[in-house]
Amino acid sequence: MPVISDDLVVSQRSLEAEEVAAKLLAGETLLTDTPDHLLEVVGVLESYGEVLDAYSKNLIFQGEQQFLNPFPLFKYLDGDLSPAKIWRHLNHDRINFEYAEYCMKAMLWHGTGGLDAYLDSEPFRENCQAIINAKRRRDPLLALLHPLFPQFLIEQIRNAATTHALGQFWRVMSDIFIDLAKAERDGSVRSIPAVVEFIKQGLVAAAANPIHYGVSIGGQHFWVLPPEAGLTFLVDVAVPYVEAVFLRGMPFLGTVSFNAQAQQISPDQARFTYGALYADPLPTMGAGIPPSLLMQDMYRHLPEPLHQWYLERTRGEGDVREKICRSFQKSMFCVTNAAINGTMPHPLSSSDPEQQAANRAYAGAWAERLALGRTDCLGR
Amino acid sequence: MLLSSLLLIPFLGTAVLLLWPGKPAPGYLRMVTIVILVLQLLASALVTLRFDPAQAGMQLQEFHSWVPGIGLDYALGVDGLSLPLVLINAALTLVSAVITRDIDKRPRIYFAMLVLISGAVNGAFLAENLLLFFLFYELELIPLWLLISVWGGANKAYAATKFLIFTAFSGMLILGAFLGLALLTGSVDFSLTPVLSDRLAMGGQIVLLGALLVGFGIKIPLVPLHNWLPDAHTQASTPVSVLLAGVLLKLGTYGLLRFGLQLFPEAWAKLAPGLAIWAAISVLYGSLAAIAQTDMKRMVAFSSVGHMGYVLLAAAANTPVSLLGAVFQMVSHGLISALLFLLVGIVYRKTGTRDLKVLHGLLNPEKGLPFTGSMMIVAVMASAGLPGMAGFISEFLVFRGSIAAFPLATLLSMVGSGLTAVYFLLLVNRAFFGRLSITPDSEDPRRDARLDVQLAVVSPRETIPAMALVAGVVGLGLLPMSLSRLSDASLTALALQAMGVS
Repeated sequence: MPVISDDLVVSQRSLEAEEVAAKLLAGETLLTDTPDHLLEVVGVLESYGEVLDAYSKNLIFQGEQQFLNPFPLFKYLDGDLSPAKIWRHLNHDRINFEYAEYCMKAMLWHGTGGLDAYLDSEPFRENCQAIINAKRRRDPLLALLHPLFPQFLIEQIRNAATTHALGQFWRVMSDIFIDLAKAERDGSVRSIPAVVEFIKQGLVAAAANPIHYGVSIGGQHFWVLPPEAGLTFLVDVAVPYVEAVFLRGMPFLGTVSFNAQAQQISPDQARFTYGALYADPLPTMGAGIPPSLLMQDMYRHLPEPLHQWYLERTRGEGDVREKICRSFQKSMFCVTNAAINGTMPHPLSSSDPEQQAANRAYAGAWAERLALGRTDCLGR
Repeated sequence: MLLSSLLLIPFLGTAVLLLWPGKPAPGYLRMVTIVILVLQLLASALVTLRFDPAQAGMQLQEFHSWVPGIGLDYALGVDGLSLPLVLINAALTLVSAVITRDIDKRPRIYFAMLVLISGAVNGAFLAENLLLFFLFYELELIPLWLLISVWGGANKAYAATKFLIFTAFSGMLILGAFLGLALLTGSVDFSLTPVLSDRLAMGGQIVLLGALLVGFGIKIPLVPLHNWLPDAHTQASTPVSVLLAGVLLKLGTYGLLRFGLQLFPEAWAKLAPGLAIWAAISVLYGSLAAIAQTDMKRMVAFSSVGHMGYVLLAAAANTPVSLLGAVFQMVSHGLISALLFLLVGIVYRKTGTRDLKVLHGLLNPEKGLPFTGSMMIVAVMASAGLPGMAGFISEFLVFRGSIAAFPLATLLSMVGSGLTAVYFLLLVNRAFFGRLSITPDSEDPRRDARLDVQLAVVSPRETIPAMALVAGVVGLGLLPMSLSRLSDASLTALALQAMGVS
């Protein structure tokens, strides 16, 4: 007679907020430093880097080449309309660019940071008006739509701006993650603290990179996000991205069971906790769960040593995407860890009580949010 | 000799298994058993090829006088009523042997008993002599008791004893009815000749038929004689449950049609309205009891109680269409319940529980049992009678054939059919949807929401028998003519014979 075996159900301890804050203030990494964790994090970030490279190129292509295209049938083909490419696309031998759009929509919807503020500003509205006027002269459908729905094209331009900005952000992140894998191979990164430090240095180096976006209509150049808006990589795009995708996310059936009428989902978006750091990896590959698309994409680019490591565990190939999701969550804790370290108000080594208090308050605020996340993945 | 081969193969096979020299490994014995059962399946297929569907009566008959003094003859024959059951017996016993795993104690006896049951069931379905039928009917009892009491679950002794008491009583009633027939008619003619008023007064007919109804009602089982079945299923191993639900319950329904309707057509016509109501009560009780179950296996067991009620309803209505529906229901229930028990067995093997309060999310595509869950959904759809599957054809024929004769009982049975969807959707919703979980909730919901469940994968050899049954269920649903062609003539003749005398 079968009996429930204890080893069928694995439970790991979650961290309390105080423990998270203590680790942040002590300069320790949230993720335990083990050889397995190093293999998982570096391997999965390398595959993520490959995927982000494709996402980034496509988002920038969409922003520039599919701008206000009313029927963007070939938006995922990056301009390559060869029969072979179309066949591979239809046969689903391709990257799931839908996931990139899902992240873009999460950013647009949660709308935090400088980018969102600019998208609601008067200069942006004026730019849009100039673009729409130029576009209406060439596109009768848009000429008809705009008077009927005056907000429609502006919203489409906000979409395009967020798409392009996310493409620019991921361009940088892709390079960081690919370089991280190279650094691990050449021996300069050998531990989880070194991984977090590597990512932090990459973020700090790119922090002030300008974010701008312009389109060409009938040979004439128009700015959507002009340089004078002063948008930069870290504050205006990276931080809103982390807020929207890592922390808040979106509740979708399959991972969150909720009764909307009973207000089981908070009406305050700021209190959402459905992002990557909170997500349950178990429903990976369930129907209608957008992150599954990312896991599938990373699976296509998995480094062989990590693939072999997965094959030796639990169901081997059978649950490999779920294992990727778990490793990805660990990786995202490392990236968040790096971002927190990089934005700490004062050096951790400071002996000034005021600076220490500011650091404590900053770490404490993060710890409160992170402790609600899947910190149970950090100990293994 | 062809029909005798259906007895010789399993009985000689039993002897071979028991006398096999040395101490063969369980896997080896399993292979030998599978070879024997494949031979039996081939012989059954050969019988089907030789069978002329256009003829209504018994075919391929064999007759040898055995003990003429007591009217016991070795008389075998097959018709459109028994042939589908012979086929399903061969198929499902093979499935039972294939899915048998981890027989750690007395594998030789286990496999021998499995094959012996199959032979006895063949004998019961083919017997043209009442006493011969009874011998085979009783012959399957002891092996099945052993299969439950030796290889069953924690409470096997209780369940096996209960099964033995109930079915022994069933056998006594049937034997009593057969001997009573000889006593009351003054003749030891135990052939299948209908007993009409010129041979026996109506009072005597009703008494004998009543004994048979209770006897076979226990075996089917019908409410309130069903009490042994849920316990037997719960304690039996998966292969035995497959055999019990798929084949052995059909001995009861077959007995009703062959020895109730065919042997006592006049008395049957008198009792038919009461039987239809009894059928509706059985259907509704089985369905409502199934809704209340939290053990998946007990739920499937109670669904059997409900679904066997359709056969009684069809037999009570006694029209060509309803009788065809009865045969379809016996075959489709055999396939569907075998599939359900097989899938519940897989769930139990992988998770260690069948408790619907504990199991959730087994359709999880990466870490659950997604293919098993998908087949479970097919099985419950078939059981609920969705078009395109075997359950729809059988239920439609039963209801279509019975509604003119017994509208109230048929409508109540239709409600039972709707309830099938209710309890099976409850089962699927609880066990297969939501977040994967196989343990009871603790006091810490945060911990429960983060448990990582690591179930072993279901190997192809575990799913192939289930896939074969799914193919059968869908095949019969899409191509019902393959079965109705075999049975139509015989069942029409049976219905007309009964109508002619009533």
